[in-house]
Amino acid sequence: MLEIVLTREDANSESALLSEWLADDRAAVKKGHVVCVVETSKASVEIEAPADGILVHLVGEGVEVELGTTIAVVAKSEAEAATAGERKAAAPTPVEDGHRNVTRKAAALAAEHGIDLATIAKSGFVTEADVEAAIRAREPERLQLDPLLAGISTENVTLPATFDLDPAEGALAPEFLAELRADPAAFGALSSEERCERYRAAGAVVGDGVVLGRGTVIVAPRLVLGDGVRIEDGGRVTCAEVFAVGPLTRFGHSLQLSCRRAFVGSGVYAGVKLVIGGGGHRDPWATFVMGDDVYLGDEAYVNVARPVLIGAEAFVTMRSLLVTHNIGHSPLEGFENRFAGIVVEDRAQVGLGAIVYAGCRIGREAIVGSGSYVVSDVPAGMLALGVPARVAGPASREVPRSRQAELVRRWLHELHETLLLWDVPVERLEAGDGLEVGGDRGAGRVLFVESLRGGGVEPGAGETVVLTLDAGDAAPDGVVVFDLLARRAHGHDGGVLADSVREFCRKRGVRFRPGPWRYAGGLL
Amino acid sequence: MSAQVRCVQALNAGLHELFEQRDDVYLLGEDLLDPYGGAFKVSAGLSTRWPDRVLPTPISEPSILGIAAGFALRGYRPIVEIMFGDFIALGYDQIVNGIAKFREMYDEQVTVPLVVRTPMGGRRGYGPTHSQSLEKLLMGVPGIVVVAASECHDLGGMLADAVLDDRPVFFIENKLMYGRPQRRPVDGWVDEFRVVEGEGPWPALTFSGNDFGRATATLVTYGGMLPLALEAATQLVLEEELFTEVVALGRLLPLDLEPVLGSLARTGRLVTVEEGTLTAGVGAEIAARVQEAAWDDLRAPVKRVAARDGIIPSARTLEDEMLPGVDDVVAAVAELAGLRR
Repeated sequence: MLEIVLTREDANSESALLSEWLADDRAAVKKGHVVCVVETSKASVEIEAPADGILVHLVGEGVEVELGTTIAVVAKSEAEAATAGERKAAAPTPVEDGHRNVTRKAAALAAEHGIDLATIAKSGFVTEADVEAAIRAREPERLQLDPLLAGISTENVTLPATFDLDPAEGALAPEFLAELRADPAAFGALSSEERCERYRAAGAVVGDGVVLGRGTVIVAPRLVLGDGVRIEDGGRVTCAEVFAVGPLTRFGHSLQLSCRRAFVGSGVYAGVKLVIGGGGHRDPWATFVMGDDVYLGDEAYVNVARPVLIGAEAFVTMRSLLVTHNIGHSPLEGFENRFAGIVVEDRAQVGLGAIVYAGCRIGREAIVGSGSYVVSDVPAGMLALGVPARVAGPASREVPRSRQAELVRRWLHELHETLLLWDVPVERLEAGDGLEVGGDRGAGRVLFVESLRGGGVEPGAGETVVLTLDAGDAAPDGVVVFDLLARRAHGHDGGVLADSVREFCRKRGVRFRPGPWRYAGGLL
Repeated sequence: MSAQVRCVQALNAGLHELFEQRDDVYLLGEDLLDPYGGAFKVSAGLSTRWPDRVLPTPISEPSILGIAAGFALRGYRPIVEIMFGDFIALGYDQIVNGIAKFREMYDEQVTVPLVVRTPMGGRRGYGPTHSQSLEKLLMGVPGIVVVAASECHDLGGMLADAVLDDRPVFFIENKLMYGRPQRRPVDGWVDEFRVVEGEGPWPALTFSGNDFGRATATLVTYGGMLPLALEAATQLVLEEELFTEVVALGRLLPLDLEPVLGSLARTGRLVTVEEGTLTAGVGAEIAARVQEAAWDDLRAPVKRVAARDGIIPSARTLEDEMLPGVDDVVAAVAELAGLRR
């Protein structure tokens, strides 16, 4: 068996075109017969059979062949020819004229929705819009008649207890509601206690210690305010269906809150001059949810034409804007204009003055840098920065145990300094990491014990407050244990020193369960 | 595979047809005789069928062009094959001071209906003097017509229109185009692109990836750069869903501006795409005319994609550095669209 290899025919070409076979595949050829013609850019070359035998084509006509390629063999027998023929599969085949007609976006959407692209009969490019049409054709338009969350996933969003209220709870008597609507100013002029009493008498659930600042009026067919809720002066709340707030939540002065329904968790801190609502607040989907222990900074603006979900322990800081729709020109003319909900998952942080655009989801423990403009989802645990915001890296880093312990020791040192500056008599303990606090209130000890699994902490005179990185299974009786990593408080039910230490930790980002808890004053 | 007609075959068939139809058509040039059939095989078979009308010449472009001009002045329809477009420079005096001027100098008593066919373009490693795109040297010569063939044009028809025209027509081919399949629009489509073909001889082709819907920019190109421009347009659609229109000019001189203005009115942005060097190039002329004619339609400055102002190296890899590629076109559109890449 002899191979016919394409060799260099002129100085310029690295390949040649096999333009024509003059002898058929499997034809008997004689040595010296011209079997094919190849063309380089400058020459047309006839190629002869190198021996007598059976010609086996390995490359088809019209194929550009690299130099050195075996284009055919001359076999001595039929069996040899059959074997040689199998090589054809491995030989170069003409490049199919590209049928790359599906855009990246279309392919991704089709994969997401299980659309077989072969079913999209269309000339030209297949775009996202074509796949969307195929999705619509497959699933006849379903009406979204559950407006509460409008189909938005609550994954990684811990909803507050108020979200699951009995629908009858807190329903206000219609005539009282009518009176409120008719003359809110007169109602707002009553004292806080009087207003709370009137709400209770009309059917609202208003917990103990609720404070409604001067002029604050809440107009909502259902009203539930947990114990110790505080809405400072000049608040105005208008909810077409329900306003439910968990215990110990606090809204700063000049609150403007309007939406169909607001479910606010416990221990929420919401700053001053908030505007929650906007033009679309009467839309059926205008649901506002804030989980437990959310921080909503001063002058934040949240427009709620579609659901806005803020997960537990999330931070939406000063002057942030969360907008569920924009005002502008028509999308039919190609302008961006949409209505879509916003989700800030549990423990996520939105930096100062950041803007989150409609439809975006800030993942769990993600951070949006100050001044950023978020126009796409931020994955969980990531830091996004810039205008428009782009993922810049992870939002947090691993802290080794030794470093954690060092940080707590530093905090203890800081607590020592702080107490001294507040004129509280305090000294370092001679043995171990700890402070001895004197004085007439809150006297006792604050200890740092890296792990409590070995035991060894006994109650002493006054309060005993233990900071630890690992509380183990059971905290010792008679002491208050703050487990800094599990973020759990054990045995804390008041106590001036324990309250002060808890507040000290809160300011450093460690908030303990169970909650809600609010610092009522102490040594700091 | 063999069903696919390559551009060289389409041109060759066009020549055969012209020779069949007309006795006054002659072919002059170097190495035309069979079996060689011209350096790029465009002339294959002609000398066998019409030995008296295929005239192989010495290696002297001034002579070839001068003799052809004489044929034309005497009422024949000669076709000249200049082996490489670069060699136009050798015959430039005949073109500039003769062929282009005879008609006016002799008070329109004569015409010079000759056709000069020649391939431009690089990317074959032919080096500095066999790879250039010198259309700009012809565009600056009043009195001639410059036509640019692309793989999507009706090559045989364009050639026939050139032969039938009473003006001297320079018919620019492209070396890489020869071996590529001819891709004429079928029912108004070339691959994923809707194509509109203009009227008259040497029409422009306008391609749209979204049936002339909203598009970001117009790419205006010609000849051998068309497949690169279409590839760039394809990549922009597939990667970004960014649509462009591509105008493949058929006639560079007199410049066929209408299809460019028509497309620009829809897209608002223009990128010129040519293989010749940037300075004083085809794109420069188009940009100048467009801003005069359609300032209000321009939403951004015209961008030019062209070869660097340098000498084309022989090494293939260095040649690619010098010549404009698909990525350059994509980058130009992305910049106009404000995409960060």
